Amino acid sequence: MRVRVVDSGTYSEPVQQAIERVLVDRVAAGEVEPTLRFWYRETPAVPLGRFQAYDDEVEADYADERGIDVVRRITGGGAMYVEPGSVITYSLYLPRSAVSDDVEASYAELDQFAIDALRDLGLDASHEPLNDIAHPDGKIGGAAQLRTDDAVLHHTTMSYRLDTAEMLRVLRIGEEKVSDKAIQSAEKRVARISDHVDASRREVVDAMIEAVGDRYDTFEGELSAAVLADARELAAERFATDEWNRKL
Amino acid sequence: MKRTGTVKVPDGKLVEVTLTGDERIESARVTGDFFLEPPAARTELEVAIEGHPVTVDRETLVEAIAAVDARLIGFDAGDLADATLEAVR
Repeated sequence: MRVRVVDSGTYSEPVQQAIERVLVDRVAAGEVEPTLRFWYRETPAVPLGRFQAYDDEVEADYADERGIDVVRRITGGGAMYVEPGSVITYSLYLPRSAVSDDVEASYAELDQFAIDALRDLGLDASHEPLNDIAHPDGKIGGAAQLRTDDAVLHHTTMSYRLDTAEMLRVLRIGEEKVSDKAIQSAEKRVARISDHVDASRREVVDAMIEAVGDRYDTFEGELSAAVLADARELAAERFATDEWNRKL
Repeated sequence: MKRTGTVKVPDGKLVEVTLTGDERIESARVTGDFFLEPPAARTELEVAIEGHPVTVDRETLVEAIAAVDARLIGFDAGDLADATLEAVR
C-alpha cells in the first residue's frame, strides 16, 4: 500500500483534532491517499477522550490559568497532557480494508513501526494490550482509534521529554486508574523516551519514518489547502467550542 | 439523588455511571476512558439504563445493555451494569 508521510505543519489543538475528522473522512471517501501524519503543536494542551467527563479529568482552573487548551477528541481512551516538542504524536488514516477487524490485533499492528523504531534506537519498548506502548519503567505512550465504515483513524502519543510534574497538576489522575497496576505514584507510570535513549526528538521521528518504510510504500507529502481549510472551519465550529469540549 | 458508580476493569478501562431519580433511574450518564463503536451508541447505553427501578437486578441490566447494537471495547455490559448498581445502592 502507498502511504503518504506528512511531517510538517504546526497547528493549534482544535485544528489538530479537526484534521483527524477531516482526514479520516477523506480517506474513507477515497479522496485522500492513506496517510501517516506527525503532529507539531503550538501550545500545551489536553486532548480529552471522547467519552470522558471534563471535570473528572482536568483541573479546570489550573488549565484556564495556564492557557492550556482542553480539546475533546473524536476517539475514546484517556486524557493526556502534551507540550510542543516534548511528545511525539502520530496519526495513521487507512482504508478499513487495510486494518484488522480484530481491534486488539490492530492496535498492536499499527503501533509496531513505532515500536520497531524505538527498539532500533536501543529502547526496550513493547506493545501492551489494549492500546499502550510500554517500557519496563512505565508507559511510553497510548493509542486510540476511530473506525468508520470505510476507514480507520489510529493516533498515538508518546512521551519524549514530558514535564510529568506539570502533567500531574493539569490532569486529575484517579486512584482507581492507578491502583490496579499497584504503582504508587502516577508519575512513575510515564516512561519518557529521552530518559532511555540519546536521540533528539527529530532523530526519533526520522527513525520512525524509516521504520514505516519497511511496512508500506511511503512517499513525502503535505496536507492540501482544501483539507486545512475544512479543518480550520470544523475547529471553529466544534473543537474550539465549550459545547463540544465540555459536553460531558 | 445524584449518585455515581465507577468500575475499573482489570487491565481495561474506567467506566463511570452518574444517575438521577429516586424510585426509578430517570437519567443516566456514561463516561470514561473506554472505546465504543459507533461513538453515538453512548446515548443508547444510557437509555438502556434509564427507566429501571433502583432495585433492578444485575441480570436485567446486563440484558438491556447487551441489547444495544454497539461494540464495547475495554469494558463489557457486565462492567457497565456493575457501575450502575454501585450508583443506585
